[in-house]
Amino acid sequence: MSELKTTALSDVVSITYITKENAEFRKEGDFLSLRVDLPVGNGLDGEPTGGEKYYERIYLHRSFPYEHPYEYISVLDRDSAEIGIIADVAEFDEETAKMLRHELDRKYFAPVITKILSVKERYGYSYWDVITDDGRRLSFTVRDTFRSIIKVTQEHIFLTDNDSNRYEIKDTEALDRKSFKRIELYL
Amino acid sequence: MSERAELTTRLCRINQSIKPDDVVVAFGFDLCPDENSPVDGFVAVTSTHVYVYEDDRLAADFDQDKISEYIFTNGVGCVFAECVYDGEHMLLCRATMEHRDLISSVIWQLNRRRERGTYSYAYENEIDVTCPKCGIRYPSGSHVCPHCTAKTGYFKRIWEIARPYKFFIFLSIGLYFISAIVQLLPAYLNKLLIDNYIKVDGAYELSQTSEFIIGFIGVIVSLLGVNILTRAIGVVRGLTLIEAGTRMMVALRGMVFDKIQRLSVSKISKRTAGELMNRVTDDTNQLQNFITNDIGSALEQILIFLAVSVILFAYDWRLAFLILLPAPIVMIANRLFHTYMRRVFHRQWVMNSRANTILHDIFSGIRVVKAYGSEHREMERYDKATRDECNAQITAETFFAKFSPLMSFLMGIGEFFLLYYSGAKILSHEMTLGDMQLFTTYVSIIYGPLRWLSNFPRRYERTMTSVVKIFDIIDEDVDVDDKADAVELDIKGNIEFTDVSFGYDSGNNVLHNINLTVSPGDFVGIVGRSGVGKSTLINLVMRLYDVDDGSIKIDGVDIRDISQSSLRSQIGVVLQETFLFSGTVYENIAYAKPSATRDEVLAAAKLAGAHSFIMKMPDAYNTRVGERGHTLSGGERQRIAIARALLHDPRILILDEATASLDTETEKQIQDALQTLSKNRTTLAIAHRLSTLRNATKLIVLDKGTVAEVGTHDELMRRRGIYYGLVMAQRQMSRMSS
Repeated sequence: MSELKTTALSDVVSITYITKENAEFRKEGDFLSLRVDLPVGNGLDGEPTGGEKYYERIYLHRSFPYEHPYEYISVLDRDSAEIGIIADVAEFDEETAKMLRHELDRKYFAPVITKILSVKERYGYSYWDVITDDGRRLSFTVRDTFRSIIKVTQEHIFLTDNDSNRYEIKDTEALDRKSFKRIELYL
Repeated sequence: MSERAELTTRLCRINQSIKPDDVVVAFGFDLCPDENSPVDGFVAVTSTHVYVYEDDRLAADFDQDKISEYIFTNGVGCVFAECVYDGEHMLLCRATMEHRDLISSVIWQLNRRRERGTYSYAYENEIDVTCPKCGIRYPSGSHVCPHCTAKTGYFKRIWEIARPYKFFIFLSIGLYFISAIVQLLPAYLNKLLIDNYIKVDGAYELSQTSEFIIGFIGVIVSLLGVNILTRAIGVVRGLTLIEAGTRMMVALRGMVFDKIQRLSVSKISKRTAGELMNRVTDDTNQLQNFITNDIGSALEQILIFLAVSVILFAYDWRLAFLILLPAPIVMIANRLFHTYMRRVFHRQWVMNSRANTILHDIFSGIRVVKAYGSEHREMERYDKATRDECNAQITAETFFAKFSPLMSFLMGIGEFFLLYYSGAKILSHEMTLGDMQLFTTYVSIIYGPLRWLSNFPRRYERTMTSVVKIFDIIDEDVDVDDKADAVELDIKGNIEFTDVSFGYDSGNNVLHNINLTVSPGDFVGIVGRSGVGKSTLINLVMRLYDVDDGSIKIDGVDIRDISQSSLRSQIGVVLQETFLFSGTVYENIAYAKPSATRDEVLAAAKLAGAHSFIMKMPDAYNTRVGERGHTLSGGERQRIAIARALLHDPRILILDEATASLDTETEKQIQDALQTLSKNRTTLAIAHRLSTLRNATKLIVLDKGTVAEVGTHDELMRRRGIYYGLVMAQRQMSRMSS
């Protein structure tokens, strides 16, 4: 009996990776441009893809924003169509990696909370008064506190306020006792 | 002073060559462009330049003539304003999310100004602003500060709601008052009984006199009377509460429900169905309970406390003082106890709901769980959740078991003082046994109100949370509303889009500058890749959302000038996802036209190809469908939805992937039915399967949110553009699969 060969997922669809070999990122104006040479093929609608292309402005988007901030980075064109994925920013040369990291850090903004001065719950909203890692004191309002907390792990959390601003607490266990007590209820 | 005026003054002070009249717009930002640190900056647009200032230092200066486009980009936790300057993308500023709405509107207007030379400041009134009192921003869509309005404002409004029932409310409050007084009487009567009749010197001799007997029986009868009165008050109060409570509940629920119904789809879809249900049922219940029960109870308890205190102090101030000595400690302890209890029980509640969610997930997805053989994994997941819940429960209950008796002991501690003090006094004949009985009863009464009142803030807090949530909905601005002079229009079916732009979020336009005309009786196919805005286009025709720019006219009348009920009563819709209400098949078809005759319903079902499968079911048209009814297949539900639309006999028929879930044969049947139906009425049809649109008189191809191609099938095939590409790709696919 002849051995039956099954088709693997990777035989049918492959992820287009953007690597230091096929791509060149450059800073054009205040943003990144991309010159890329990708394998020629057909998209899902049968349209031709790949080849050598130049994008004057590209957008970066994290696939796993909480767990892998600099890996699996989707590179998009102005119409939000994906050009390809960067497996790991660190695979690029020092200068490019720095540019990419900078672009990502600029897009994802979440002040890091190091101390919680007070959390007052009132009529379904909670009012926060905190200190961030750069020593600033911030106050913000959270609606529906329980649902506004994203737990990356038991200790690492993100908080979204009324305006969709984000705040990060890297390690709730590392907070001082009083700060921890103030948020313990929500964890 | 508005932010724009303030920044203009600031700009003119820094750069004195600029006159205030030159400034088109100015807006602030708060993040450094290149690093995540704060900055106090602003962007000012004059007729010739765009200036960017950071901490009052000029950071960038752009020549207006070289800017070809302004761009608003959403980051995550921040936003960007950009421009294309001399062909290069330049960053104007970066800001935190509270600036999002303003910056996206400014960018929108700046592009408009570049294209058409006009700039409208109308957005300034719509953008959410901060509460002038506390500086905290309003929740989006509302202009009421939950932080400040709470006390006075909300009470006034609660009173407005309660006013029609004031008779019942005051009656019940009055009854609480009377009941408070009546509750104090038995103790006094008991004292009389003991001191004057039982423990009186020479009781036996006295008992022979008729005066004594009448008095003795009088006290007993009074006790009986008080008892009957207490029960009677209870009954009347109960009836009053039911009367006031249910009436108010109906009114409150109606008010919230009516408001939710009037909100646009975009506002409603921000909330989950569960959340909306809570607003209508739980929160209104909480408020109603508070008005009818808690306010009266609070007054009753206060009154009892005051009356007992006055009696005790008047009788013997030292004794009263001794009894009340532990009161503050008891109140504080009680408050702390309850604060902690709330935390631990809340934790338990969270754990419980987490476990329930897991259970709900597993049961709803049981087929998936079984198909992937992941029963064991799910078992472990649920097991862990229940163990967590169990631990939380142990913590809570252990605490309760330990501290609850302690609290009861503290509450009762006054009685020991009393026993010692009054015992000594009785022995020295300064006090009677009746007095002691009176005091003991009052001491046991006085701690009741204290305990109740120390928990009152919590009830109040919980009610106010509900109140804020209710008013949050009631205060929400109705964005798609009928104008006062909205017209009832007899629609013929001409639809005209003029420069229509629209986005669900600020800054992200789904459709831009759509121009198209549909004549009465046209069968228009809308084609394009997924996510290109096809459904959005028809949502706009139904006016589920209002356009951001431009206008949609039906028979030459802007749809914003047509009453919504008039507009929608003449539009029939069949969507890909069909919703059947709980009820019979018949009711579901007749939903579109409750006045329809049986003949009409049957005819519609027949035309939609639904009649035959309906007749195969034992209960035929009386078959119950929906949540707990008979399960119909996707195709069957679809045919019922089509029958519903057919019965509606609309002037404009909208089909959004209406036949996508059907097999080819059924689709053909329904296509034919629709073909017959669409005669002489305007039809807008979205279909992924392009063969469905072969009868279209006109095809509109959307690409990147704009109209890319318009024409008949033949014209578009000749053009060899996007449509041609889509058709070829589908042909290739069907060849491959055949």
